Amino acid sequence: MTLTQYQLAEKLEQALGNPQQADSLMSFQHTAELDEAEQFPHEEIAWLYNWGLQNYYIPTDCGGKFTSFEEFVAFVRVLARRDLNISIAFTTLFWSFLTWMAGSDEQKEKLSHLMREEHTAMCLAYSEREHGSDLVGGGVTATKVEGGYLLNGEKWPINRATISGVTFVLARTDPEGGNRGLSLFMVEKKDLDTSTYYNLPKIKTHGIRAADMSGIGFSDCFVPDSMLLGQEGHGLELGLKGFQITRALCAAFSQGAADTTMRTTLNFAVNRKLYNKTVIDMPHARRTLSNAFIDMLICDCVNIGAARGFHVATDQFSVWSAVDKYFVPVTLEQVMKDTSVVLGSRFYMRDEHDSGVFQKALRDSAIISMFDGSSVVNLHVLILQRRQLAKARVRIRKKPEKLAVVQDRLEQSFSLSQPVPTFDPTRLELISRGADDVMQGIEGTIAKLEALKKSGDSAVDLLRPDPAKPAQDVLSQVLELAHVIREELDAQDVLITESAFEHGHDQSFESFELAKQYCQLHAAMACILMWIHNRELAEMGDFFAKGEWLVVSLHRLLSHFRMTPLLSSGELPAAYHENVAQELLRLHKADKMFSIVPFQLAQSQQAPPPSTQSSSAQSHPNQPSTQEATSHATAPEPQLI
Amino acid sequence: MQQLQNPSSSESTPILKIQAWLVEQIADVLSIDPTTIDVKQPLTRYGLDSIDAVTLVGDLEDWLDLELPSTLLWDYPSIEKASAYMVEEFDVTVD
Repeated sequence: MTLTQYQLAEKLEQALGNPQQADSLMSFQHTAELDEAEQFPHEEIAWLYNWGLQNYYIPTDCGGKFTSFEEFVAFVRVLARRDLNISIAFTTLFWSFLTWMAGSDEQKEKLSHLMREEHTAMCLAYSEREHGSDLVGGGVTATKVEGGYLLNGEKWPINRATISGVTFVLARTDPEGGNRGLSLFMVEKKDLDTSTYYNLPKIKTHGIRAADMSGIGFSDCFVPDSMLLGQEGHGLELGLKGFQITRALCAAFSQGAADTTMRTTLNFAVNRKLYNKTVIDMPHARRTLSNAFIDMLICDCVNIGAARGFHVATDQFSVWSAVDKYFVPVTLEQVMKDTSVVLGSRFYMRDEHDSGVFQKALRDSAIISMFDGSSVVNLHVLILQRRQLAKARVRIRKKPEKLAVVQDRLEQSFSLSQPVPTFDPTRLELISRGADDVMQGIEGTIAKLEALKKSGDSAVDLLRPDPAKPAQDVLSQVLELAHVIREELDAQDVLITESAFEHGHDQSFESFELAKQYCQLHAAMACILMWIHNRELAEMGDFFAKGEWLVVSLHRLLSHFRMTPLLSSGELPAAYHENVAQELLRLHKADKMFSIVPFQLAQSQQAPPPSTQSSSAQSHPNQPSTQEATSHATAPEPQLI
Repeated sequence: MQQLQNPSSSESTPILKIQAWLVEQIADVLSIDPTTIDVKQPLTRYGLDSIDAVTLVGDLEDWLDLELPSTLLWDYPSIEKASAYMVEEFDVTVD
């Protein structure tokens, strides 16, 4: 039985069909052809609107069906594992959260209508050619005139700048206003005088070649007051808070891409025979893939925890989303590189082996650690808050009542069987004021592990062991490794507190290394929290419950910190690695997501051999729903410009 | 009622205390001579960027042990304005 919040992802999977079958809507073959032709995926995006996926970007109180970011990241992975270009092009809809956060009732109603009924797409116009990620230094202006503003200047490079109906534009409304001199506009392009704005040419890119990566320029372009989003002067604050939302969601793109590179590598490794052995039976290949799988599970714990935490610890997301956006894409980029070694030269080919999907996923995903705040930007956000995090952790340890509240929030953030509270974007804060539940919960979590170990010492358990329950040696190892996390965090906190603090952009190389380590420790804690709060959940399965994967995960993360053995027993048992490899192969064989929540993917159908022709809008025999197929064939995307 | 730990040795009003603290911090952040800082000038004029301004509010919170709006130095962008706002709004006093 699949957890409720993953059922939408499964449904979308089934509707889209198996991408390895050339006749499925977003098959690897078809999306490779779009990529080669650098052709925007109009038909595929129209299909998603007709299927109704845009409703899951709109909160229920604004007329949509969005209730949970956990559900959201699951369906984004379903799209991303097929084609990052389509998933990124469609998911620019998540910029609507700017309106759900700061818009008036009329603006919310209007945008909801545009998305639901008119299938409008949107883009975010912040960046400028001369100013990069320096938003305050931007040169686009909005000058107040009777009834509205005049926009002037160019935004570049902007994804979907040309093929979109709504553009969120950040512009300077007060030349002397400093950080309060920027305002955000929700510009509906069809209401503009077309002679006052223009689009810049498509930019040729390394990956997502079929994307509408372009720009938009304004020349005395009148926008009415009704297009101002939030208060005048609040654009920077809204923009930075909006990034907290989208940064955490970006990780799901990388997860989908990594799933595909792993799957296509396994397609090779379980069949390829060399030296009378299949590749997967060769120790190096097997361990390489099982380690990569472990890294994917670690990223799951970080990103699913963050997706749920959004609803619970919303005011801490300047920290959580920075960790998520740095750690997950960077880790999964490495996973892809590691995995490519097993696939060999095929990883580099554009038309061999599953339509060359490996190289395409690799190229496409390279942008993820860059957009919506690069890895450097995210680490910088952490560095600036690191001293407060250290100080706050010292303070909170003296306040048991506050620690108890942290434990309650962590349970809600990580326990997948619990519903999440309604997401309230007005609770987002520019800084977390030293709070990070995941790290502040370390002592409480160790206490829980110790209690669990104590309860497991009973004779009853020893006489009648439950195969799904963690063995005592697993618990002992998790505890040992949890103490390592605490020791490393304590040491880092002391170092940070005692060393001179640099503000601004003069941070040392060492500060960035420390911030990376903070992300690794945060990830290690997320793994323990995910396990401790869900190990008894039947839907998670025996592999998850036994916790061997957790020991391997923590061991991998913490081995960066120490040269000496992490465990008193020495090396990890070989059986742990083998059981991880077995689980990986089981999920591959069953067509399930490589995840701590391995939901069902679309399976190959007993159909005629895949066509060598490109799939077209009119023929999608893999779609189970005739209604969807029909609507796709009849409804173009009306808002495309 | 917040009690400030005196950051400097001189006796002064809460507003002057906060001003002195901010001057000291900003001079440190931007590596400039504190005597060149005019409390009436916008902080952006000295090169204090948006994120520095937010981080500095965090430091102020630590020093004063109270919660402040993270955009305080955006909304009150000079040392004089920020200090006056804090004393008025949060009733900060000095021993």
